[in-house]
Amino acid sequence: MEIANLPISASQRSKLLSAGYATLSSLSSLSPSHLARDLNIELQEALEILKVVSDAADRSKSTDGHHQALKGVQTAWDMLSEEQMQQHITTGCEDLDHILRGGIHCGEVTEVGGVPGIGKTQLGIQLAVNVQIPVEYGGHGGQAVYIDTEGSFMVERAHQIAEGCINGILDNFTDHDRKILACQEWMQPNSFLSNIFYFRICSYTEQIAVTNYLEKFLKEHKDVKIVVIDSVTFHFRQDFDDLACRTRILSGMSLKLMKLAKTNNLAVVLLNQVTTKYTEGSFHLTLALGDSWSHSCTNRIILYWNANERYAYIDKSPSLPSASAPYSVTSKGIRNSTSHCKRVRMM
Amino acid sequence: MLTRFRVEGEGERSSMAENDDLGIERTASIQNPTKPSSSIGARVRATHDDDEDEVRVSLRPVLPHSSSDLIHQEAARALSVMDSFHQPWLTGVELLDDANRNKHVLPTGLEGIDVLLGGGLREGQLIEIAGPSSSGKTQVCLHSASCIADKGSVMFLDTCNSFSPNRIACMVNQFSGPLFKEAKERRLERIMSSILCQPIYDIFELLDTLHQLESTLKHTVKTGGYKICLLIIDSISSLIAPILGGKSPQGRLLMVSAGIVLKKLAHEFNLAVLVTNHMVGGEGGIIKPALGESWKNIPHVRLVVSRDQQSNVFTATVLKHTMRASGRTAKFVIHN
Repeated sequence: MEIANLPISASQRSKLLSAGYATLSSLSSLSPSHLARDLNIELQEALEILKVVSDAADRSKSTDGHHQALKGVQTAWDMLSEEQMQQHITTGCEDLDHILRGGIHCGEVTEVGGVPGIGKTQLGIQLAVNVQIPVEYGGHGGQAVYIDTEGSFMVERAHQIAEGCINGILDNFTDHDRKILACQEWMQPNSFLSNIFYFRICSYTEQIAVTNYLEKFLKEHKDVKIVVIDSVTFHFRQDFDDLACRTRILSGMSLKLMKLAKTNNLAVVLLNQVTTKYTEGSFHLTLALGDSWSHSCTNRIILYWNANERYAYIDKSPSLPSASAPYSVTSKGIRNSTSHCKRVRMM
Repeated sequence: MLTRFRVEGEGERSSMAENDDLGIERTASIQNPTKPSSSIGARVRATHDDDEDEVRVSLRPVLPHSSSDLIHQEAARALSVMDSFHQPWLTGVELLDDANRNKHVLPTGLEGIDVLLGGGLREGQLIEIAGPSSSGKTQVCLHSASCIADKGSVMFLDTCNSFSPNRIACMVNQFSGPLFKEAKERRLERIMSSILCQPIYDIFELLDTLHQLESTLKHTVKTGGYKICLLIIDSISSLIAPILGGKSPQGRLLMVSAGIVLKKLAHEFNLAVLVTNHMVGGEGGIIKPALGESWKNIPHVRLVVSRDQQSNVFTATVLKHTMRASGRTAKFVIHN
């Protein structure tokens, strides 16, 4: 293994190479103080470099030839049974759940985009509430992380949606049971609100910092089942002079979110704005941040208006066919569309 | 075919000799120069039946008061360079023989693409599929995996959580034809157990995994276990995009080393390697594949796919092919 392939910083690498250390074996039996003197760096840094080197050396020695030695490898057959048991997060609208085959998938990054006023934030808040539905009533019983970059999260609205969700659960019971259940502590809207962790972000550096911090946060709060970022592109659209740098930062951020979604088995929902694009002589709406960002999600849902009704269209998905479904935004949250034409339209 | 190497330098002598199982004797002698500032040069002479090849290997400057450890290290490094000359030179006839016997063509199952590629994915080659978002790249990868897993093992490295076992099961059941339910189930289990999936979120993790895969495959060749014939990376551009560009050339270095390792794996172990790439805006508003000019020369075959108007019909165009004319297009259909 070469030094160039180790995950150390560029300056450390150039120092190692100019001092003549080109392979792992040349570093294997070196003491930290000797290395620190040779490279003219702090002892702490030398210790870190040697730790990375010894990890890499251990990994290359430990392969015993069987494919299970590769960490994290699973066969598709095992993953099939896992995927079938996977529970999805309901959106509150049955038609939308139907085209999503259950709801928002856990372990994947879903991007939701649409024009202003179509209901993206409403959907985000609805999902943050629906994830808390107890397991006995078909939900996940989990917590939610809501990262707000625009300031569009309204606590009163979240309270209203939580109330609507609770009443929806209680509707399934008789009057008598309902009274008992309603008194339970976890059935109060305030307890639903207490399970939403809210981060307010005011600049792109804060957004990067939160994405990095989430890994540690999620280790401490293992019940979190959904992370909503509203909206992921807001701080990157203005004030960025170096577009190449922006692409690098965004692709790095999306990789981290993918990793979080997979390792903690939670759903990551990114809300995105739209912008106009001029191609082939006409303007049309596309999601913000362009082609390089469009690959940073596993699924994409586009919300749009069609003759005074709100529709959701599955634009990108590895396993779902393209389809669209109507939904509506009511005082209780996202619900089925109440128009007379209720059939799901297949494109 | 016995090969002898001798390394000679000037100044004090310090030598190492090694014999390995092929009966090749290699000696490396490194000598301390009298002047501290001059570098050590070593001349390697390789005798090869009747021919003689001479290669110069220059090593680090070794000061007169350096420890013998350092000298031994440098000698070991000279030996490792000589190791790369162990491979005997191949003639054209041997290469053709190897191509016919070992480098099979693996059909992807999608007619249009198989026609464009002259049968399918060829073992020993690195094939790239580029396309805008939602143009069918992941579907092509999943389809190839389900079709080829019947004949050998498939390794799927997934960087965007888009490996869907349900979709694979769907595709496998499409090919199965008229079979009883239990036979279908057994066939599904057999095929899906030979598809291995690993999530990767870092270029260093990728290089690590490829390194481990190499040692696993070397071991498998000796013990004759199951054989991987297809390696899919979906998508390699999301691993490289965060490091490419900027002031340091580190990103490009890692991208090119990844490409070299993949091609080496493909050739040595007779794998077909399929990678996906996304598109970026180019000049005049025309989109082009991402990863820049340095990546263009790395894959053997490059295809661009696009979707026709939200339907199930896709178009593929050949950008680069080692054996066929580029610019040809074909349509293919992916069923639900």
